[in-house]
Amino acid sequence: MRLPIAAGLATAAVSLTLYPLFEGGAWFWASMGAIVVTAAIGMGASRLAAPPWAAPPAMVLALGVYLTAAFTGSKAWIGFIPTKDSVALLGELLGGGFDDIQRFAPPVPANTGITLLTAGGVGLMAILVDLFTVRLRRAALAGLPLLALFTVPAAVLTDPISWPAFVIGAFGYIGLLVADGRERLGKWGRAVFVRRARTVTADAAPDTGRLALSGRRIGVTAIGLAVLVPALLPNLAPAPLFSFGVGNGLGPGGGNIGIPDAIAELGGELRQEANDTVLTYTSSDDLPRYLRIYSLDVFDGTKWTVNPLRGRPEDRVSEGPLPPAPGLDPTMPVKRAETHIAISDDIRTLRFLPLPYPATQVAADGDWRADRNSLMVFSTDDEAAGLDYRVVTGEPEPTPQQLDLAAPDSSGRRYLDLPPGLDPRVAGLAQRVTEGAETHYQQAVKLQEWFTKSGAFTYSLKASGSGGDALSQFILTDRSGYCEQFASAMAVMARMLGIPAKVSIGFTGGTKIGDVWTVRTHDAHAWPELYFAGVGWLRFEPTPGGGAGQGTAQVPQYTLPVTPTASPSPGASPGASAGADDATGDAAPAPRNPREIDRDLGGVPIVADPGMPLLVKIAIGVAAALLILLIPAAVRLSSRYRRRRILDKVAFAVPDPDVPDPRVGDSDADLIASGEASARKRRRAVTADAPVRVAPAVEAAWAELCDLLIDFGRARRPGESPRALGRRVTETLRPDPGTTASITAITSAEERRRYARTVHGPAPVAVDLKRVRQALAAAASRKRRLGAALAPLSTLLRLRALGEKALDGFDRLENIRLVAGRSRGGAGDMADDTAGNRAVTVRDVQENGSSQERSLTGSRS
Amino acid sequence: MAATPDVTDAETRLETLVDTADRIRNAIESVIEGKSDVIRLTVTVLLAEGHLLIEDVPGVGKTMLAKALARSIDCPVRRVQFTPDLLPSDITGVSAYNQQTGEFEFKPGPVFANIVVGDEINRASPKTQSALLECMEERQVTVDGETYRLESPFMVIATQNPIEMEGTYALPEAQRDRFTAKIAMGYPEPAAELEMLDVHGASQPLDKLDPVATTAEVRALIEAIRAVYVSQPVKKYAIDVVAATRQSPDLLLGASPRATLHLVRSARAHAALSGRDYVIPDDLQDLAVPVLAHRLLPSMEAQGQHRRPEQVIDELIRRVPVPDIK
Repeated sequence: MRLPIAAGLATAAVSLTLYPLFEGGAWFWASMGAIVVTAAIGMGASRLAAPPWAAPPAMVLALGVYLTAAFTGSKAWIGFIPTKDSVALLGELLGGGFDDIQRFAPPVPANTGITLLTAGGVGLMAILVDLFTVRLRRAALAGLPLLALFTVPAAVLTDPISWPAFVIGAFGYIGLLVADGRERLGKWGRAVFVRRARTVTADAAPDTGRLALSGRRIGVTAIGLAVLVPALLPNLAPAPLFSFGVGNGLGPGGGNIGIPDAIAELGGELRQEANDTVLTYTSSDDLPRYLRIYSLDVFDGTKWTVNPLRGRPEDRVSEGPLPPAPGLDPTMPVKRAETHIAISDDIRTLRFLPLPYPATQVAADGDWRADRNSLMVFSTDDEAAGLDYRVVTGEPEPTPQQLDLAAPDSSGRRYLDLPPGLDPRVAGLAQRVTEGAETHYQQAVKLQEWFTKSGAFTYSLKASGSGGDALSQFILTDRSGYCEQFASAMAVMARMLGIPAKVSIGFTGGTKIGDVWTVRTHDAHAWPELYFAGVGWLRFEPTPGGGAGQGTAQVPQYTLPVTPTASPSPGASPGASAGADDATGDAAPAPRNPREIDRDLGGVPIVADPGMPLLVKIAIGVAAALLILLIPAAVRLSSRYRRRRILDKVAFAVPDPDVPDPRVGDSDADLIASGEASARKRRRAVTADAPVRVAPAVEAAWAELCDLLIDFGRARRPGESPRALGRRVTETLRPDPGTTASITAITSAEERRRYARTVHGPAPVAVDLKRVRQALAAAASRKRRLGAALAPLSTLLRLRALGEKALDGFDRLENIRLVAGRSRGGAGDMADDTAGNRAVTVRDVQENGSSQERSLTGSRS
Repeated sequence: MAATPDVTDAETRLETLVDTADRIRNAIESVIEGKSDVIRLTVTVLLAEGHLLIEDVPGVGKTMLAKALARSIDCPVRRVQFTPDLLPSDITGVSAYNQQTGEFEFKPGPVFANIVVGDEINRASPKTQSALLECMEERQVTVDGETYRLESPFMVIATQNPIEMEGTYALPEAQRDRFTAKIAMGYPEPAAELEMLDVHGASQPLDKLDPVATTAEVRALIEAIRAVYVSQPVKKYAIDVVAATRQSPDLLLGASPRATLHLVRSARAHAALSGRDYVIPDDLQDLAVPVLAHRLLPSMEAQGQHRRPEQVIDELIRRVPVPDIK
């Protein structure tokens, strides 16, 4: 009866882990409703003893009714009976939900469609769990649907699932298993198998609590290990399943880093009185470069924002080159440069790196990750303040011809979205301004020219606002503003013309002071980037530069109107200066290897730690595993060596007898018979005054012999005395007389050590053990020999014994608890006992008194 | 050699012991062929001051064994044929009125001998049986208030026939417990039987058997055996083995503490016969079946599976761990 409830609880617990996927809690309550409905049907089916096959269809029906009532109640008959309309609406909502899920990155808004989808999915999982647990009685298998549920957030989210959520989910599953075990055992009158029960108490009531206690304990231990071990193991750190630090998803936003209101800050920075140094940099070609921090690609009519970023662990900049720049054709010649950037210590919280675009490699300390779409590099853990890092860029140097040829492709479509309600005059103006341009590129150039020259725009920091009206106002009437307005206006107009565009925020190239380029607060800047297939994103500069504009803003070379005589101001065009590079690049547009380090950089190639290659990692892992596997062999070798040393020490410490060994005991008769003279000579007669000294040697020899036998699969049996052991070994091995004598020497010495008054007679020597080992190895198969050398069973057994001891410790702990619990509930149990039950109890006590290890069964009849 | 006099002394004593015991064994073996195990056990029981129960079909040499043992030690041997009408006084002896002296005079019964052979002990009435068994345990006879000590060494070799059922009184377990060991003679090997035909056809070999030891010598041997060392682990092992019989689900009745005593005592003799002055677990293992088996009652389940106590003991011996030094 409890089982359906436990199944529902388990599903509910695991579905909690879905929380980072959604905004708001609507999905949760809807899902809980679905679980409650299915669990109720499950309980009903169990109570009515319905056939197992009947329950799942009934649950599916009930789930359908529930979803109808909850989501399409208005169209349903008396609120919950599905009708044609309601089913149609449900389908529509589902379709919408699917679309939304495709569209949104998590956390997705909890709209009706998505909530419906979630509730339905969780409900289906609940049915599956119930099917496995209650109907098929395979509770362990119910872990599969639960795992599937758990996998959803784990697979979709880049950020780890927070460990408390995992723990709750795991407890749900354990609860399910415990409930199942309880139910299973409850059907028996009493079946208690207590591992080595030494102190089974007289109370033999059919009590599954004890087992459940063990089960829970094992479960808790397992969960604890599952959470702690990955956290403790450094190797697992790159992709932790559960996070502890920043961005563990406990806060809103589901672990995604938010971008500060970049635009608002930008204006603030530009208006600041103080013009502090933000960063300094040097570059291999000593040219200024715009340093981009944010790339805003969503325009909502009032402001530019960014899609949620994805910083996957594999896109960590320390893992190797950055993802390829979007849209950049690998065959396009690029100009490589290395920039060394040092960020000021005083800068406030900055979790994004200012980088020239497009960066191919970044060497920075800390956990910096690149977003694949925008190549923004950010961190959830580290801050940029004081950071010193190096960047390699590969800037495309397209010719106007190439740009003219750039056909629009599908990947840029996302960057054409414009909200409805924009002033249509702006679009008209855009068309007008670019009249005569035949290609997107020419349109873009005309647009930029209009902003900077023909449009009569003035630069003013006084302009305010960035709303939808403010934008059209700026374009149509005011024509006065600063970089933000210019950038935003050009990007919007480019989108209107069908050119994918976005707004980037960062810094201009700054001013050269001494040997370094210095970027200050007033160099904060915004600019549009336009997309051309094959070239990728190109920076445009609509903001006026120079004294009347933003001082350090520069118009890129490729955006200037094509005039063969045009001579750009020196240093102002990054593309033109690197002549040699240009020439080779144009002459031979050979496919370039994105991983290639540019040899022209002059300096030391950047050492962005590429991380270890996968193969090396695997090799190291395998080697480590092998080393761990070889630990028993090493332990075995060391114990063998230690024993041999003991033997040698004793052999030389005991004085050499003048007379031959005294023949004591019948075992020595065998020795004579064997005619084994040399070993006997080495064997020292041990006299009555030396038992203490010789005992360790005997003990060591015996221990080694036992271990050898275990290793070679002829382990000593519990009821076997040393003598019997020696007899068995010699009978089965049939070794040469020398080895027989050696075996006898060891066993009879051990026999005397154990049972005689004094250790008396010859002591074994190292040669004896060597002979025995050789004889055993000769008789063993190759596999066995290898096993004895690499994975000696004797050591493994010893390790297992250690483990058993640990378990014994747990048992003792458990007994303490049980005794305490028992004394409380004892009276009630006794009252329930029937006479027959008590008789069983008495019998059990007798049996327990006489045996240590037994499975006790009795019936309650 | 730096051996102390003690050790040397013990060694010589041991050598004498082995020597004497070997002589006795050889003497018996000249009469009974191919039964060295049985003979060895018989001598062991003799030296352990125990009594022997021989259970076997008629004609395998039970009485011959007893007689040969008695004759080889040159000591009085009395044989009592147990019949249903045998009275206790026929065993212990009676006080008879002496007309000449006018006093009651004790006439010692057959029990007053060093070796008493009780043939077909299960044919006597329980009352008579118990009279003999009392003598075995107490080593004394009390008649009319007078207590008479029995000879030393004193050994009862009782035989019983397992097949004959009619008119027999099976020894109750309490009585069986007093025998140190029970052995079965078993049929001789074909070769031994052939030799027996040759030898017995010509003459009675028992007649040719000369004593090889005196009672005094045997007494000395018994004394020497008491000195055999039993280490703590071995004692514990004996207790473990006996305790295992008490716990075995195959046995309704386990072995008694007296069994433990008998086991260790005979193990001493067994060790000494092997020329050792200390007992090892192997001694106990060798003796466990003859010393323990007749004291045990198999459970109904074991009987149903035709498992005899001997088998159960063999299994226990294999299972009970041989103790190491703590």
